[in-house]
Amino acid sequence: MDFHLKKRQRSDIKLEVVSLETKYPHNVMLYKYPPTDDIHIEEFEELALERLRLLRVFDRAATKALRMLSDDWKAYVNAELTREGLRNYLRLCTGGDSKHESDIQTRRRDYISHFILRLAYCRSEDLSRWFIAREMDYFKYKFSALSGPEIKQFLDVVNFSFQPLTEAQKDQVKDGLYESTAGQSVAKIELLDFYKVPFTQVLDLVRSRRCYLKAGFAYVNTHDLVSLVGTKHMDEIEQGLAAAKVFIDDIESDERISRMLKALHNSYVGKDYTVCKDAAVPIESLDQLSKTSYPLCMRMCHEHLRANHHIKHGGRMQYGLFLKGIGVTLEDSLRFWREEFTKKMDADKFARSYEYNINHNYGKKGSMVNYTPYSCLKIIKEMAAPGDCHGCPYKAMDPVSLKTKMSSYGLSPSAIDEVMRYATSGHYQLACSKYFMITHNSTTEPTINHPNGYFEESQIVMGNRQKRVTGSQPQQHQPNKLRSAIKGGADRSMMMGNDDDELWRIAETQERTLQSQQELSQAFDDDLDLTEIQY
Amino acid sequence: MPESNTEEGNGPQQVSQQSAAPAYDPNILPDMLPVYYRRLFPHQPFYRWLSYGLSEDGIFTNREISFTLHDDIYVRYLCYDTPADLEKDICARNPYKIDIGAVMSTRPKNFRIVPGGITPVQRELVFDIDMTDYDEVRTCCSGAEVCQKCWKFMVLAARILESALREDFGFEHVLWIFSGRRGIHCWVCDQQARLLDARGRSAVAEYLNIINYVTYKGSSTPRIQLGDRIHHSLRRALKFVEPMFEEIILDDQNLFGTPKGVSKLMHIISDDGARNELAVYLQKSHEDGTHSRAIWESFARFANSMRTSAANVWSRKLKHVVEEVQLCLLYPRLDINVTKGFNHLLKAPFCIHPATGKVCVPFSVSAVAKFDPTTVPTISQLLQEINAFDDKTKSYMEMPEDKSRIKDHKKTSMFKGVLVFEEFLRKLERSFKENSMDF
Ligand code: SF4
Ligand SMILES: [Zn+2]
Repeated sequence: MDFHLKKRQRSDIKLEVVSLETKYPHNVMLYKYPPTDDIHIEEFEELALERLRLLRVFDRAATKALRMLSDDWKAYVNAELTREGLRNYLRLCTGGDSKHESDIQTRRRDYISHFILRLAYCRSEDLSRWFIAREMDYFKYKFSALSGPEIKQFLDVVNFSFQPLTEAQKDQVKDGLYESTAGQSVAKIELLDFYKVPFTQVLDLVRSRRCYLKAGFAYVNTHDLVSLVGTKHMDEIEQGLAAAKVFIDDIESDERISRMLKALHNSYVGKDYTVCKDAAVPIESLDQLSKTSYPLCMRMCHEHLRANHHIKHGGRMQYGLFLKGIGVTLEDSLRFWREEFTKKMDADKFARSYEYNINHNYGKKGSMVNYTPYSCLKIIKEMAAPGDCHGCPYKAMDPVSLKTKMSSYGLSPSAIDEVMRYATSGHYQLACSKYFMITHNSTTEPTINHPNGYFEESQIVMGNRQKRVTGSQPQQHQPNKLRSAIKGGADRSMMMGNDDDELWRIAETQERTLQSQQELSQAFDDDLDLTEIQY
Repeated sequence: MPESNTEEGNGPQQVSQQSAAPAYDPNILPDMLPVYYRRLFPHQPFYRWLSYGLSEDGIFTNREISFTLHDDIYVRYLCYDTPADLEKDICARNPYKIDIGAVMSTRPKNFRIVPGGITPVQRELVFDIDMTDYDEVRTCCSGAEVCQKCWKFMVLAARILESALREDFGFEHVLWIFSGRRGIHCWVCDQQARLLDARGRSAVAEYLNIINYVTYKGSSTPRIQLGDRIHHSLRRALKFVEPMFEEIILDDQNLFGTPKGVSKLMHIISDDGARNELAVYLQKSHEDGTHSRAIWESFARFANSMRTSAANVWSRKLKHVVEEVQLCLLYPRLDINVTKGFNHLLKAPFCIHPATGKVCVPFSVSAVAKFDPTTVPTISQLLQEINAFDDKTKSYMEMPEDKSRIKDHKKTSMFKGVLVFEEFLRKLERSFKENSMDF
């Protein structure tokens, strides 16, 4: 425990490095065993924030709609990592020298910081999903830098005993391999090693039809092994998160840790829009709001509904949950849908056929799950089918209708062109944020990854809502001199020090911020002078 | 409702339709259902299916069943300890519709009191194909109507899907059901399919879902990019599609027979320049209202000659444009959200569709072309048949009740559907025997 009191003598450091090298033999690691190192709370927090910055880089890359591991994607990620001061991680991603001291130190940070974030991200399904997706990006990037022999070595280390097909076996399926192996020329396919694995182990290859599939087995070449290893890696993280969830209550019974972990994810990542924490939005204001603060996808739903008094199931889900997220109460929501639908059907029918659905969305019926409003990713990927008004218009609408729509909303031709440039090149969310900037006369580009985020951002820009302040600049609260140390990962004996005043102070600061925020939002209801709010 | 996919038959557009004699009258459905459930519904095979030879713990008892009762009262989280309980409840409540959900981690009826809620642990992999998704490509009918011409779309859909499920994924126990009005359902019952997690389901669904829809000029247009080499699964789909393309699209539907139809063809082409070239060419060589065959021949010829004449967009991006169009029009149009959902409720086989009165009968893919949705028996017809039979033999009253009941469906035109079901069960049960011998 008194690790930090050690005099840093040369020999000590040397010793440590040697042991670290055996501990972290590879740039690419599966995070299997929780670290047992003692670490300062100071380092704990530092590592957590560092990893968040790292994952945020991959998150931004994902919203840029760059193809994963393409040159553009790499250029973007590399530049961002550098900008964030994460060059050491960049080295891991580009095959840093495996004997280099600093790289080995980075591996340690990599390893431990992953486990710290598990604690912060295990608490809800949404958070976990985000965390896993970004961890997988990072993992794939690191893996992609490995050479053939390095991959073999890695497979050995993680006990993956796959034998490639023999020439004879390969010959039996060669037509299928030629036809269905994506990303490789026929000449290459002849030379490559192939592995036969159950299709469930390479779902991403299956999903996108990138490999040959026969009788439940996928034929995967060396270059696509990342998919296989990735699946294993993902399982590992998922199990880790599930395990963390079990003991998180214990850890969080220590309020200081609890606050820090909570502040972490609130401040940085895809918020939880399940329930609106702000004031209730009256449905009478929806027409107005749909013009000023809705992203296009929701505005289309709204207008469709007003015009046709009906909207398909997908649209009801997409729009209904969005409404819940912006703060329309269940009662209002029922009233809103009823008023529209009953223009075309009798009230009885509505009550029988649709009310269930609405209650359900609010978690009042059926599965009792509280549904989360759909994110852009979901809307873009899943929500458009023939003849629907829902989905993401930047993707689902043809350019001509999209242009017409925007010009009917009063956008200038040059503005429309700007938006279209993104939309037609597949950057739907960027198109969306362009649209936001234009319609809000704003000079800063918001990151749009959730329609409810769009709405909220809009309300903030228009001065109708307050930015959520909680821990949005956590660095400011970072402790300077903490003498207490904690154990990382799975170990429950978290706080060891006896000098926790500093932490208490932080906790109190956060509490105050929270309170003042609440006061502010209450004040809104009493018509506060809007100019007083700082963003 | 979010969990119950099936048709959006609750919407205002719903019209009840009549089929051949004896006419089905939805108003007397409540009077007919008790007889149907007591005498015709194949309770015993139904249980044999859902119990899977009791090969896994809780596989029957933890299954969520839901009933739709009169006035659209919807009861979820039902579950039964024994086949007799299930049968008794069905016969007591006479549901308008029975839905089958997932097998849960515990008894579904405890959903309120289990801390953390109940979670699905297994569920057949299901597919739903609805004729309304074909409205853009059929001219013979629209909406809820289905004729024998439309059925050919379903024939292809079932064949393509079945072959992919078997050959690519190695699934063997695939049950096909006519959904009673305008669609088909497919239940994949292999253990590996039942145990797929949400990610696995989603991957399989995406693998099989090749059509993207974009809204082009105000209407929804299917698009496919086959790329340079055609994936083997799509090559196989083409083997089914190509021989039937002329018959379905050009002759039956004469889809390109109107200017609007021709524009549908054009919209499928994703490249603006190429589309304009084709438009110019077709306008020059054909008058409005030319038969689809001529339009299609021109299109194929034009695409071919453009492709081979020089290096251009036709030889690269549109290299497979002819195949792409064929698949866009005839490849199965799946409602993939149904497939992705682990916890989706899907209408059980042998239900009666309340709007048509038709039985949701199983059919076999090898005989799918001979299946005729327009002659699927209605509940009224079945009851009449059974009465006629009773009259003839007069033995019904004298026989002990349950013996006669088992045989009742054999007296009617539902017989074939039950046979298909039993054949499916036989194979399924054989696989359990094989498995247990392995250990
Ligand atoms: S990018 Fe997101 S918010 Fe914007 S329109 Fe598309 S789905 Fe809606
Ligand atoms: Zn028809």
